[in-house]
Amino acid sequence: MNWQTVRVIFSNELRMMLRDRRAIILAVVLPLLIWPVMFYALKRTSENREKNLAATVYKYVVTGSQADQVRKLIARGAAALARQEEREKGAKDNLADFKFQEVQIPDPAAGLKAEGIHFYLEGLSGPEADALPRKFDPKPREADAGASKSKAPDQAVTPPLRLPGVPLMRIFFQGDRDASQGGSSRMRELLLRARRMERDGFLLQHGLSIKPEQVMPVRETSVASAAQITGSYLGRFLTLYLMLFLLTGGSMVALDSIAGEKERGSLETLLTTAARRGEIVAAKQLIIVAVALVITIIQIGNILAYVTFKVIKLPPDWVIEAPPATIATLLLLFIPLAAFTASILLMLSAYAKSYKEAQLYFFPVYLLSFVPALAAVLPGISLRSAIILVPVANVSVAVREIMVGKFDWPMLACVFIVMSLAAAWAVRASASMLSKESLITAGEVDAADIAGGPALFPKHVLRWYALMGVALFAAALNVPQLSTLRAQLLFNELVLFLLIPLLMIRKYRLNVRNALALRPVKPLVWLAVLLAIPAGNLTAVGVFRLANLVFPVPQRMLEQFGRDLMPESIPFWQLILFAAILPGICEEVAFRGTLLYGLRRKLRPLPLAVSVGLIFGFFHIALFRIIPTAFMGVMLTAMALLTGSIFPGVLVHAGNNALGLWMGKMEISVGNLAWWWYLAAAAVLALAFCILYRARTPYPDLRP
Amino acid sequence: MDPVVVRGLAKSFYDEARGEVKAVQGIDFECRAGEIFGLLGANGAGKTTTLRMLSTVLMPTGGSAAILGHDISADPTAVRKCLGFYSASTALYPRLTARETIEFFARINQYPGDVKQRVDFLVERFGISHYASARVDKLSSGMKQKVSIARTVAHDPPILIFDEPTVGLDVLNALEIQEVIKEFRAQGKTILFSTHIMSEAEKLCDRIAIIHGGRILACSNLEELRQATGERYLEDIFVHYVRGQG
Repeated sequence: MNWQTVRVIFSNELRMMLRDRRAIILAVVLPLLIWPVMFYALKRTSENREKNLAATVYKYVVTGSQADQVRKLIARGAAALARQEEREKGAKDNLADFKFQEVQIPDPAAGLKAEGIHFYLEGLSGPEADALPRKFDPKPREADAGASKSKAPDQAVTPPLRLPGVPLMRIFFQGDRDASQGGSSRMRELLLRARRMERDGFLLQHGLSIKPEQVMPVRETSVASAAQITGSYLGRFLTLYLMLFLLTGGSMVALDSIAGEKERGSLETLLTTAARRGEIVAAKQLIIVAVALVITIIQIGNILAYVTFKVIKLPPDWVIEAPPATIATLLLLFIPLAAFTASILLMLSAYAKSYKEAQLYFFPVYLLSFVPALAAVLPGISLRSAIILVPVANVSVAVREIMVGKFDWPMLACVFIVMSLAAAWAVRASASMLSKESLITAGEVDAADIAGGPALFPKHVLRWYALMGVALFAAALNVPQLSTLRAQLLFNELVLFLLIPLLMIRKYRLNVRNALALRPVKPLVWLAVLLAIPAGNLTAVGVFRLANLVFPVPQRMLEQFGRDLMPESIPFWQLILFAAILPGICEEVAFRGTLLYGLRRKLRPLPLAVSVGLIFGFFHIALFRIIPTAFMGVMLTAMALLTGSIFPGVLVHAGNNALGLWMGKMEISVGNLAWWWYLAAAAVLALAFCILYRARTPYPDLRP
Repeated sequence: MDPVVVRGLAKSFYDEARGEVKAVQGIDFECRAGEIFGLLGANGAGKTTTLRMLSTVLMPTGGSAAILGHDISADPTAVRKCLGFYSASTALYPRLTARETIEFFARINQYPGDVKQRVDFLVERFGISHYASARVDKLSSGMKQKVSIARTVAHDPPILIFDEPTVGLDVLNALEIQEVIKEFRAQGKTILFSTHIMSEAEKLCDRIAIIHGGRILACSNLEELRQATGERYLEDIFVHYVRGQG
């Protein structure tokens, strides 16, 4: 490495960046100007809201056969509030400035809608309340449901809030109106206080010799120092914010650094100089990190200035302690993190053909990179777990521990090593991307665009699958008709995974046999398939357990998933049809058919299998399913690559799903077996692949 | 030994529309010291691919080539150090000034002498002193062309590669470039020059290789090519070989 060359390129990049007036304004000046305006506006809005709410006299109506009882309760609550105000002048109470006034209007519901009143109360007698349809029975709110909260969630049976024959009081408000919601919530609190007071009075009347609140009072004391509590809050989000700043700041120079140069043609000029690829990458990485850090420091300084001038109010008990050892350790962990982030940005920039395309890729990368950075927010994850092996996530958890003063030095050293190795890999990968010929020639190859049809399909295939992914999520979340398992499976399998691939075949005029790999296989392959069904299933469970060491999945979630997948209302044969046979055919058509065909020349066989497997995994939505299904996806893709056919995969896929359903029906659990079971299954799976290898008829026209 | 020696050089790649494309199919030639060697061919003949391989931007899939004894695959950095590469697709940095551009390329290519002096010399030589402090994005295409040539020779390389340098230029600018190339030859530099303009090749090149479909169909000086084909004009000679190939 010639550092003189690195310095020359670095200075050149810096000079050009500083002359990019638009970028400087967007990345530095604009946030500096916008943040104070934004904070000031927020502060003023919040103050005005408080003021308005405090000044509001809440108008309400009392209705129903028990209206007088309700009025009495309100009057008692108001009297108690007045007494309390006398007693505790100066004490903070959110009912202190609660002003309310009953009004008379004939139709309270219409009055509420027309904003004539803020809310109305309805007092019902016991029989009237009993006659209400069940859906109108109030659900317990947290404050009222203390008893149920103490039970384990899966065993909790919510007790009825109201016993039969007991009168009921209902508050109606408009949830979309601030004043209506605020007023009703305060009225509710007032009524609860009045009810508590009545209960206490009743107990005292019946001989309780001390005040009810003096019976077994509960006092909680946090043994953590204020600095530790502050550190715990900050530590959870510090890595996330740093990533945010590094990515946004770094992207300013990174996207232009290769993608922009490629577009302008100056990259080829640079690559024909005596500078080595490694030197170019090093210089570009340094400039990305430097710019990202400078922007981070400016933005942090900006925020600190607002804190100092009290534009942003910190909680009063916040104490930030940052001794030199803490700062030094954090910096040590942040250095490889910054290098890693810069390399990812550089790779993104190198992969894109133009600046615009790089911007397009940036957003998903930006969102994805937050996933590991959020590890510190997840409860129950400690540094002494497999999380230590996950780059970024390990730093996130380590930072949280450091911020509360917990220095687990051996584990911190491991985090540093793992993160440094990841950064080294990323640096190397970005350097090798800079050696790729497509960097120079990609913009020129437009023969596919001209030819259209099959030649264009590989260029478009990922866009189709991205759209399919969006459609899958959007439909699942927004179409109520798809809320049942059967409807959702039918839509996913028949529309997304079968109809759309067929549409692709038609649109791009693909040869059906080639696009779907409809090729016969040697008889020996079927033996491998028979071995692979149970072995693959059990190995995938083992993979899931391994993944569970890093990202533990709550048992409750798994049980819920099992219940959702096997509803009692669907006969077993239908389950086999919808959840085994259909996915076996349709998903193989979509993933080992058109997707594999479209990507076959883009990647070499190993990364191809991993990529198709990962995409397959991501389509299984639930986060905890991604790793085991991606494993299955890789396995099925490897089968298609070895046999050149979709058929073995169809059988293994359907067989695996059917086996899982059958075990669920028979209540056979393989999730807690001894590890050697999974190892044995992996060995059988390896044997199946040996057979496949011996009987191979490779997928044609792969990238060598 | 000749400064540029090319033996069986080949390059193939996969293209979705065309399948396996053999852009260059085992070509042989050598450039002698101090000569202008022309690669003459139609668009898509393999000229740019050949020159990009020699500049180590693309890796050959077969054969070998050496620049001043440095193998292009084994020692690409040494190769790039001793050549200047100019093509219509090698653009400049828009936010640098003309002077900064030349200085940057002199430094990055490790010019052994006084960089400032070298930059002053080139600014003077190419007549760019009156816009040397202007940013490249403010310059006209003719001005950019001059800065581009100056940056190509900023480190005073012994070998120069010009890939269709006059494409898109007006007659006067094209003539100026031709003059500059002749001047470089007079300084003893070895020049590899690709073009599809017959008159340009006829006027400039000491020896010409006619390249078509990734193969060299003929390689000699103009006189020998005339004798071999019985044609007088280079255009006819070119057509003679290409049609003969077809």
